[in-house]
Amino acid sequence: MSLKKLLKPFKLINIARKSGVVTVLYPYQKPLITIEFRGKISIDATKCMGCGACVNVCPPNALTLSRRDDTIILNYFIGRCIFCGRCAEVCPVGAITVTHEFELASTSTRDLNEGLVHHVEKCSSCGGRLGTTSKMLQYVILHSPASENYVHLCPDCRKKRFVQSLAMKIGARTEDYEG
Amino acid sequence: MVRRSVTTVSAEEIINMLREKLGDIAEDIRYVESAGIIVRVKPINLREASHIVHDVLDAYFRTMMAVDERPINNTFAAYYVYGLDNKGINIIIETHADPYTPVLPSIADIVPAADWYELEAWDLLGIRFKDRKLHRFVLSDDWPEGLYPLRKDVEYTARPSPRIFYKPPLQGPRLPVGPYHPALHEPEYFELFVEGERVVNVEYNGFHVHRGIEKLAESPRFAYQKVPFLAERICGICGFVHSVAYTLSIENAAKIEVPERAQYIRSIVLEVERLHSHLLWLGVACHLLGYDAGFMHSWRIREKVMILAELLTGSRKTYGINLVGGVRKDINMDKITAIRNTLAWLRSEFTKLADLVTSVPEIVRRARGTGILPRDEARKLSVVGPVARASGLDRDVRRDYPYCAYKDVSFRVPVYTEGDNLARVLVRIEEIFESMDIIDQLLDKLPGGPIMAEKIEVPEGLIGVGNVEAPRGEDIHVVLTGRGRPYRWRVRAPTYQNIPALKVMLRDAPLADAPLTIASIDPCFSCTDRIVVIDLKTGRREKLQTVSIPGGCGCEL
Repeated sequence: MSLKKLLKPFKLINIARKSGVVTVLYPYQKPLITIEFRGKISIDATKCMGCGACVNVCPPNALTLSRRDDTIILNYFIGRCIFCGRCAEVCPVGAITVTHEFELASTSTRDLNEGLVHHVEKCSSCGGRLGTTSKMLQYVILHSPASENYVHLCPDCRKKRFVQSLAMKIGARTEDYEG
Repeated sequence: MVRRSVTTVSAEEIINMLREKLGDIAEDIRYVESAGIIVRVKPINLREASHIVHDVLDAYFRTMMAVDERPINNTFAAYYVYGLDNKGINIIIETHADPYTPVLPSIADIVPAADWYELEAWDLLGIRFKDRKLHRFVLSDDWPEGLYPLRKDVEYTARPSPRIFYKPPLQGPRLPVGPYHPALHEPEYFELFVEGERVVNVEYNGFHVHRGIEKLAESPRFAYQKVPFLAERICGICGFVHSVAYTLSIENAAKIEVPERAQYIRSIVLEVERLHSHLLWLGVACHLLGYDAGFMHSWRIREKVMILAELLTGSRKTYGINLVGGVRKDINMDKITAIRNTLAWLRSEFTKLADLVTSVPEIVRRARGTGILPRDEARKLSVVGPVARASGLDRDVRRDYPYCAYKDVSFRVPVYTEGDNLARVLVRIEEIFESMDIIDQLLDKLPGGPIMAEKIEVPEGLIGVGNVEAPRGEDIHVVLTGRGRPYRWRVRAPTYQNIPALKVMLRDAPLADAPLTIASIDPCFSCTDRIVVIDLKTGRREKLQTVSIPGGCGCEL
């Protein structure tokens, strides 16, 4: 075996000297994350309308929509989140943004939950539950202005109004209907 | 060596050949573009058909999908997927068993690679295989008898109470390796039977982290576009290959046209993944051989690849950019420059490192001539990936069954005939250089256009095969489409095919070589384990530590 081959393993010294120390003193120095990094999401409460589009696409069910009385609660549980950012992609109003935040460890699961409460609108005719939030109604009106006349009504009242107008057309009088 | 032409013999010719060879046995032969040539046979003729396809036509055994098709046609079906590598086409033997007492003949003596698949089908679907010993294999020991989780009448939420069982202790001197691999930090359990310093037999006890992913994907909780994220979590190192294999199988089945650019991006990310995976493995191998300097430097280089992966996809691991129909993140000029810079740096650094590692006598001497897997044994077990290539089998899915953008690039497939640990080290080192070349070529040719298909509709009842060359070998997914989600999704990770070969490698070898030999197949156990984890409160003292391992992927080091 030639001497050159024998001494080859010592090239390590050269490699080590050239590369120097590469370890980053995290957390004292800044972590090496790139601009594309996907961390936890942040939901803009002023934009979110509680439609639940994000809930439908969330693979691990980190985003959930629950209803209690006349509120809709959008809950984001970081413990389940896989940081895929699908919710930000599908949000129709751009309320969800993916942040660079990743230092999320906590001693209490309560810190890992973020809830957003939306109030459910009431039917403008009977006062019953409508099931949608006011921002959702505004969104619908914005995208199809013709709906403005009936969007504030609950399905029952809509049916009633439809039947009423149909009956009026074929000659029924209001007194008959109300009587 | 240049890439072989994709399909030299058309499907028609193979069908004619099959008709001639199989004669009356074949009830029906049809060609499905998304999967291959499907041959339907009666269970009694299964053995003969398997013999003809496996031995006479010399097709590799790739995977077997057992399905509970009782809601569709009142049978249990089994699809044995064989691959004619040199023609780039699959031959699928389809057979249907009785719905009440499903029994199929065992083909494990004709096709040794089918051994595990039969045990798994028995465990998960209750299909009995004649003339062979069946035992508890994938499910944990305390899973109740007679409850087969992949049957459609078992809810995915089923949480049965554990059964009480007793296993007689094994006889003879033996050495436990596990339940965690000393270097790979993964749940596995080998029992090496030893005579002095020599290993005489090996028992593998795996599937400690079977998480039931296949069942979960069939549940109403999932949809076609959610499964890629689940598939990615099958493995912590080569997760992207699983999500690509899944999306390919669905896209093939539903004939979704994926834009060229998306296919290129997928290929680039797949190669980046191979780079970091092989660098990781090389580091671990050095560490196992006591050469920690090599380990440190291999991982130092790997870190740059990880940062590159994050820049391309948004995450260091589990990239999450894949969907059925395309990808979610585009590549711009800045990223292309970053890739080129990283590759240039990597090339110079890795050349030095590879040169160094292969010259260190403690590595070369311990790797040469140990853990030998002879070619004929490798062929019998249809091993895949670097393990196959180190044993003289010239197989590479990227070349033989081109997918994504691999049809547009040329690369060399390193093949060694020694079959020892050193050959497996060298195959991986060469593959790193090839991967860097492939990325360069892909960047040169990167086409413009959209990155997501416009129309994504998946009809019901179609079969699709998706295969990807993972860093560890061929990864193949078979999908039967259903309403809104897969009806059956069969994942076969490379390690599943390679572990049976360990028995051959470890037998009659010195005990001191065992850790390196086990690591030499680059085992990835969570890929191999895919079912339920239940806590074991009862059982023997020795077993207790091996079975109560919490779920989750133990792959990422």
